[in-house]
Amino acid sequence: MRYPILFVVLSFLFLLVGCYDRIELEKQSYVVVIGVDKTDERGVYEFTYKISNPEVGSASVPNTPDEPAAEIVTVQGSDILSATYTANSIVSKRITLDQTKVIVTSEELARSEDFMRVIQSTSRSPQIRGDIQLVVTKEKAVDFLNNNEPLVETRPHKYYQFMLTRAIETGIIPKATLHRFFQITEGDADLFLGIYATTEMDNNEQHNEGIEDKYIAGEIPQQGGSPTQFMGSAVFKEGQMIDTIDGEETRLVHMLDKTLRMEEYIATIPDPILPEFFVSYDYSQKKEPVINIDYYPNKPTEINVHVKFQAEIIAVPSLIPYTQNLEYRKKLEEEIVKRLEDKTEAFIKKTQTEYKSDPFYWSLYIRKHFKDIKEYEKADWHKNIYPNAKINVTYELDTLEFGKMIDDSDLNEVRD
Amino acid sequence: MQSHGFLRTKEIASIVLIFVAIKFADSTPTLLSQKAQNGFWIIPAISFIVIFPSFLVMLYLLKKYEDKHVVQLCEAITGKWLGKLIGLVFFLFAFSSMVFDARNYIEQVKMLYFPESPTDYIFFIFIIVAFFGAKRGFEVIGYTSRIALPVIKFSALLVILLIWEEVVTERVFPVFGSGLSIIATEGIIKASIFAELFFVLIAYKATKETKMFRKGAIIASIIALAELLLFYFIYITVFDYNSIEKIAFPFHDIIQRIEFGEFFTNIETIFMVFWLFAAYLKFIYFLYFSAWFFGAVFNIDNFEPLLLPLAFLVILIGLLPYNSAQTQLVYHEQLYTLMSPFFIFLPFLLWFVAWLKGDLRT
Repeated sequence: MRYPILFVVLSFLFLLVGCYDRIELEKQSYVVVIGVDKTDERGVYEFTYKISNPEVGSASVPNTPDEPAAEIVTVQGSDILSATYTANSIVSKRITLDQTKVIVTSEELARSEDFMRVIQSTSRSPQIRGDIQLVVTKEKAVDFLNNNEPLVETRPHKYYQFMLTRAIETGIIPKATLHRFFQITEGDADLFLGIYATTEMDNNEQHNEGIEDKYIAGEIPQQGGSPTQFMGSAVFKEGQMIDTIDGEETRLVHMLDKTLRMEEYIATIPDPILPEFFVSYDYSQKKEPVINIDYYPNKPTEINVHVKFQAEIIAVPSLIPYTQNLEYRKKLEEEIVKRLEDKTEAFIKKTQTEYKSDPFYWSLYIRKHFKDIKEYEKADWHKNIYPNAKINVTYELDTLEFGKMIDDSDLNEVRD
Repeated sequence: MQSHGFLRTKEIASIVLIFVAIKFADSTPTLLSQKAQNGFWIIPAISFIVIFPSFLVMLYLLKKYEDKHVVQLCEAITGKWLGKLIGLVFFLFAFSSMVFDARNYIEQVKMLYFPESPTDYIFFIFIIVAFFGAKRGFEVIGYTSRIALPVIKFSALLVILLIWEEVVTERVFPVFGSGLSIIATEGIIKASIFAELFFVLIAYKATKETKMFRKGAIIASIIALAELLLFYFIYITVFDYNSIEKIAFPFHDIIQRIEFGEFFTNIETIFMVFWLFAAYLKFIYFLYFSAWFFGAVFNIDNFEPLLLPLAFLVILIGLLPYNSAQTQLVYHEQLYTLMSPFFIFLPFLLWFVAWLKGDLRT
């Protein structure tokens, strides 16, 4: 008769042990964005947590209470995790970082030497996932988070998910996961690109040349909508930010780096025949770029890159009949390719002389020329090989489509 | 012993496959990459080449001396006392492997999924479940393995498929990692990552015909090698050499990175369940084989009552070390270094002695 009792007692032992880690959903606060800022004191940082309010926007709560979609709390601390406990003096529930999507850091902190120290602590905790995106903001991260008020997609986790996914698809910002950050920084060979964003409009820098991507965040003239702009990238060398590049250059990086994926984008170029107008085309790249590196220990390394792409003409405001006229079409094709090649060449020159390293992750391709890591690290891609290399990037227009219209309307006939 | 000889090739193959191939999902990759850097994924191949001939010699000897498991074989070849001593060494190796691995696995579970629960409790539950599994006897273990195998391997396959887009094959270069000589020596020193193959030999008589055991063990060990190579290749091409050295539990890091479309993010717990299933089986084998070795050495025919004290011993010893990184990177590495020469040379010594005695002539 004793065995059943023993069994019941033992089964309690098994079943109830699981309760150690039991925590009600209701009792957790999910941080969606973490902001990190510098303070005057070294080793102390300002952490801002944007905590989503699960009751807003969920279908299961019929009468959505009149609460904001997120709560923003800023505290000071020495690392991301321990500051959550300080934040608990303000936030009523346990702060959980499992669902965090984005870490926002101010440009000031990213440019400081201590950036590696504060970001390193994220990799130790299992709560913080490797696929969190790294965003660098022009202003302080706390201001960015407070100013960022999306008008339509108010739930913060969805806002960041959609905003970043779409912007990455179009190539104006890079995919900048923490995982990639550590990989490139620890690999000590290439440049890491972080997402650049701001809510501060820079009225002096704002320009409008009719080119859709030659901006850095804050420079895009805008009216209406949320004040947040995601555009361009922050360039990191050896774990420290050194510069920003604009959306156009970020797209070039996407074209030349096979580890970054971009769906397609629309680009405009001056019309080769009537230069006061623009021609818009849709750029898409089905195949990865072909990268050949000939490594010579004693003379400059030769890097040959060949990119095959497809283009579809979207708009020809000059109404020049490119479809029919073979000569015109040739000229347009050449113009597209030439422009890409010129842009790429200028950008590569800049990386070679100014950054002295590459943002394209090309160090991957030189590795097979070495037997072991000692040799590879001694040859030093960063300092020695890349800045002195002879680089030749060629583009090849694979197909040129003209959309569903064969020809534009003839202005002369219309105005007849 | 409760074996009636119902097990066949499939069961033995499943046991060997789960027992050996789970090494891709613990801290072994990190341990190997410490010195070999990105060449570490070739190490299992080198280890296998070094240790597999010894395993075959062992199987050959078992075939020659019919109706004996490995401890009885040693006794028959080297005499009663020396044979028992070798059996004792087998037991100690199996048992200490289990203790070190147990701490490592518990730490994974705790760190990643039950951060608040005390290690002691998780350890206790884990080993007690393994004990109940082992208590059912070897045939149930065999059947369970056969049933579990497709599910476990399917989830592993799913992991490979979903992570494949993050693989950048250029990361395997430079091919020899930190240098060919380092990889070769590491491969030989760590040859005992296949030590589990030798622990299974205690069950030689459990199958219906011994031919089935040999066939199952050989096929499964080759598949296990392929699996280890594939997963290690994925680790190195996803993480790169500087990162893999620092990641304590690469399998869990990789399943954290898996997304099933935009909607199903953070799905690592699904894979964790199957991993846990395989981990339980692994400790069931370890516990059962340890008890079996112990019983064989001390002439205890009915060794199953030994499972309970052994299980408690595992918990007690497993809780002694200060932390899991130390257990894995220091103690376990020393154990590997100790086991490798033993398993590489012992079969040849036995064969030599048997040949001198003239037992092999028939």
